[in-house]
Amino acid sequence: MTVVREMAASGPAVSEQRRQVMQVRKRDGATEPVDVNKIVRAVERWVADLDEVDPLRVATKTISGLYDGATTAELDKLSIQTAAELIGEEPQYSKLAARLLAAYVDKEVRGQQVASFSQSIRYAHGLGLIGDATAAFVARNARKLDDAVDPDGDLRFEYFGLRTVADRYLLRHPQTRLVVETPQYWLLRVACGLSQTPGEAIGFYRLMSSLAYLPSSPTLFNSGTRHTQMSSCFLVDSPRDELDSIYERYHQVAKLSKFSGGIGISWSRVRGRGALIRGTNGRSNGIVPFLKTLDAGVAAVNQGGRRKGAACVYLEPWHPDIEEFLELRDNTGEESRRTHNLNLANWIPDEFMRRVEADGDWSLVDPSDAPELPDLFGEAFDEAYRAAEKKAVRTVKARDLYGRMMRTLAQTGNGWMTFKDAANRLSNQTGAPGNTIHLSNLCTEILEVNNDTETAVCNLGSVNLGAHVTADGVDWERLRATVRTAVVFLDRVIDINYYPAEQTAVSNPRWRPVGLGLMGLQDALFTLRLPFDSASARELSTRVQEEIFLTALETSAGLAERFGPHPAYAETRAAKGELHPDLWGAEVTQAQRWTALRERIGRHGLRNSLLVAIAPTATIASIAGCYECIEPQVSNLFKRETMSGEFLQINTYLVRELKARGLWTAPIREQIKRAEGSVQGIAELPAEVRELFRTAWELPQRALIDLAAARAPFIDQSQSLNLFLSAPTIGKLSSMYLYAWKAGLKTTYYLRSRPATRIQQATVTVTPAIKPVVAVSDDEALACSLENPESCEACQ
Amino acid sequence: MTTVSEPDTGQRQMLLDPGMDLTLRPMRYPQFFDRFKDAIKNTWTVEEVDLHSDLADLAKLSPAEQHLVSRLVAFFATGDTIVANNLVLNLYQHVNSPEGRLYLSRQLFEEAVHVQFYLNLLDTYVPDERERFAAFAAVENIPSIARKAEFCFKWIDSIFELRELRTRADRRAFLLNLICFAACIEGLFFYGAFAYVYFLRSRGLLHGLASGTNWVFRDESMHMAFAFDVVDTVRAEEPDLFDDEMRQQVRDMLAEAVECEVQFAADLLEQGVSGLSLADMREYLQHVADRRLAQLEIEPLYGSKNPFAFMELQDVQELSNFFERRVSAYQVGVSGTVAFDDDF
Repeated sequence: MTVVREMAASGPAVSEQRRQVMQVRKRDGATEPVDVNKIVRAVERWVADLDEVDPLRVATKTISGLYDGATTAELDKLSIQTAAELIGEEPQYSKLAARLLAAYVDKEVRGQQVASFSQSIRYAHGLGLIGDATAAFVARNARKLDDAVDPDGDLRFEYFGLRTVADRYLLRHPQTRLVVETPQYWLLRVACGLSQTPGEAIGFYRLMSSLAYLPSSPTLFNSGTRHTQMSSCFLVDSPRDELDSIYERYHQVAKLSKFSGGIGISWSRVRGRGALIRGTNGRSNGIVPFLKTLDAGVAAVNQGGRRKGAACVYLEPWHPDIEEFLELRDNTGEESRRTHNLNLANWIPDEFMRRVEADGDWSLVDPSDAPELPDLFGEAFDEAYRAAEKKAVRTVKARDLYGRMMRTLAQTGNGWMTFKDAANRLSNQTGAPGNTIHLSNLCTEILEVNNDTETAVCNLGSVNLGAHVTADGVDWERLRATVRTAVVFLDRVIDINYYPAEQTAVSNPRWRPVGLGLMGLQDALFTLRLPFDSASARELSTRVQEEIFLTALETSAGLAERFGPHPAYAETRAAKGELHPDLWGAEVTQAQRWTALRERIGRHGLRNSLLVAIAPTATIASIAGCYECIEPQVSNLFKRETMSGEFLQINTYLVRELKARGLWTAPIREQIKRAEGSVQGIAELPAEVRELFRTAWELPQRALIDLAAARAPFIDQSQSLNLFLSAPTIGKLSSMYLYAWKAGLKTTYYLRSRPATRIQQATVTVTPAIKPVVAVSDDEALACSLENPESCEACQ
Repeated sequence: MTTVSEPDTGQRQMLLDPGMDLTLRPMRYPQFFDRFKDAIKNTWTVEEVDLHSDLADLAKLSPAEQHLVSRLVAFFATGDTIVANNLVLNLYQHVNSPEGRLYLSRQLFEEAVHVQFYLNLLDTYVPDERERFAAFAAVENIPSIARKAEFCFKWIDSIFELRELRTRADRRAFLLNLICFAACIEGLFFYGAFAYVYFLRSRGLLHGLASGTNWVFRDESMHMAFAFDVVDTVRAEEPDLFDDEMRQQVRDMLAEAVECEVQFAADLLEQGVSGLSLADMREYLQHVADRRLAQLEIEPLYGSKNPFAFMELQDVQELSNFFERRVSAYQVGVSGTVAFDDDF
């Protein structure tokens, strides 16, 4: 059938006012009429298990957006887009769009005479994309590896996940920019890049292809390639208080940034504004101009075209430039004192929080007068600080400064609160004097010691908890198996990794830290129907974390038995028999396993000084199609914006619930959209269902902190904990962060809030004109309007 | 509420002049003051918009899409200036409420930021100076843009000579101007333009343009809401101004605006853009026009539906990776003092 379109409509005579048969141009240059049946057939291939999908609808809608003379490639792309645009009505279209995209990618790869995994590796190796070792490994085991590719693997992807993979993760031909590997080839390539035997590679590939576990983005980008920089995080110590050191740090940051790493860098050792410079007898301009240079440097480095570089600067609150530091992200004021590309974090000693609580004074001390402060924590810091206060540059009220920190958080989401003493006191790496954690990383989940010549490195991966849970509960055996595989491959990265700067090559083999995280906690809680703030949710999250940490330690002990402990093992607390839960004085539930583990560690030590860190997982959670790390859902309906475009995301658990109740209707959908993703106003839903589907904005934040604190004894690094307040006030914020500190959290991450006004919704029914009554002017009500904040991709 | 048929009796104060109320207490229209405060919380600056990736995207676009973008930015180059002019010349002096004028002052500032944003955008997008000057002269050179500008000027001129709104005819003329700028220019011309930007954005193209436009759009939404608020207030105070004649005038005005915007669309899309057909665009514009009429409680003209699913994406909250985008969701104003017992 040919589609004849009535192009004319009301309005003036315009050029396209004629009947016409739409033509498409084929790849060989010939034209043919657009055939709706052909599109229908292409769609029907993929809908066997998608009963709600209407192929004819996709076909006609595709044609409606087409122009006469478009290419068949444009037609294919438009059909993918069209399917994706129906996700808001019926989530199954997400799977359909993903499959159409997979078919498109497949065609592109096969169009280059690549018909198998080993051919794709050989081809990409010839193009200079694949490393020699991986190419040789694949060539040796071609048959076995080719047979291992799961033909149904792509059926598991949702559209947003696969789109991200296709646009950013698959290797491309350097000139034509065509993709040279399919999504399954990509995962197998990642596995081969880290494996020693084909059996090992296939096992790891199957785990990733099932989407039950994914390593972080740098590993997914670079494993098996010529530049195997697979670490996510770098923690750079503050430059020394001298020019050469500062410029060396710029250089180091640029090198680290180039290969996809996210960077944390402290600046606490550099003297503040007005401090004397002996060499020239001049006065320092302080840290802001130097950070401005860092800002420009970070923005200039493009990580392989995939994303801009990113860094977070840490400063201790006794630094004399702290107030100017807190203004670096403001969008008003002098541009030369603003750094829009840098993230900011406060590295806070307990002494500061105590003075805030007691409403005491706080002294600002120049690091050139007290150079020892960054290296001290606990009582040693307290003593040294009190002594240094005699040389204070200035004294402020601790509460005033705390208030400014809160204001920065509210206005920019930045200026993260991270706690120096908890971070150091509760770390396995600070067992020997002189080893200090000076900062966290770009996403506040990594806490590792470093110094002037050693930059800490961490590579990450995350378990998809949702994939390990059914309505009957957690599949503990499967979870353990996943963790065991994950730890082995995280550890493997340390040896294969390409180190972009010498300071990283020194520290990583010594400490061998890894960061095994978790994503999809919200999926698990939806599946088990546990409200996020319930006691059962807290219990589940804590037990899961204990299981992950315990299994990770067991695996690391096993690696130590085979390969020996990491070289700095003697400097760790574990070497003295203190494991992380001991530092917290926490109760464990699997006492027997812990006891057995202690014995094993006592005999052979640990292969890794640190094992667990909960990263934000923004990107890999998208790929796996689950909620981010330990976060509650932000909305039942929202969109993601990435370099690939915009994507509607809908809570499929909610859709299932509504369908079962006969409530998945256009009016209800509109109601959810109008309420910006909240279901609290849907009277047809029973209270307990509404309770289950609350969003992060609707949950008490105290619960988020309590959950984090309860699982913290089983996280030897830290967690990227975002907090959400739609209408933050200084009072709420100061109460919340004091509570977080008292709960013992080592770090917090973004404060998320919502904009005060919003764009008029274009696709919901117009509400009848608002009558000019006196408007309610409750700040809270006005501010419940949103688009939503960002989330970190650095450490996925 | 009583109907006042002779507005110049001076018996009661109304939102429209004559009169120049200077006192903020007691406040007669606190909702305007709230809008003013809300707008301040969403302050943004041009420097925050990162255009770095747009240039690479521009090079990737097809000639048809490049044509679309160049026409679009040419429209933006002058669009906000026209709105700002009307605000100063025609609106400000007739709104007899100091809190209302506070909002208009804020709106004027925002229009200026928009002008600066599009100036910056054109300077970046069009490095060739001669081409750039041509783009800024679009109102004269490009017929499809000139047609829209004519429409605007016609309505600016319609009340330009009015010093005070003394008669019923004056007041109706003012309302028509206000409705024209809210419903047709900000509410249709800009909404049309935003649709193109959001189309590109949904394809992951021109992030800088999209994020700046997103903020512009957020502001424009508030401008429109304020203007409709004024219309509704006047309507409540002087219901007799809104008769069938007025309703017909508004419908005619919107029909003409749709026509202007459709011929602009025909120009933008003349080379064929996959996913954005002229027929769909027309339907979208008609749909938007109907919405404006609905907001004014006037019968719709077209009964058209929104064909663009990507516009739906604009209605839901955004979650972007900070690694990729700078977010636009934070509030600038925040109040309170340090406390330890507040609920959170």
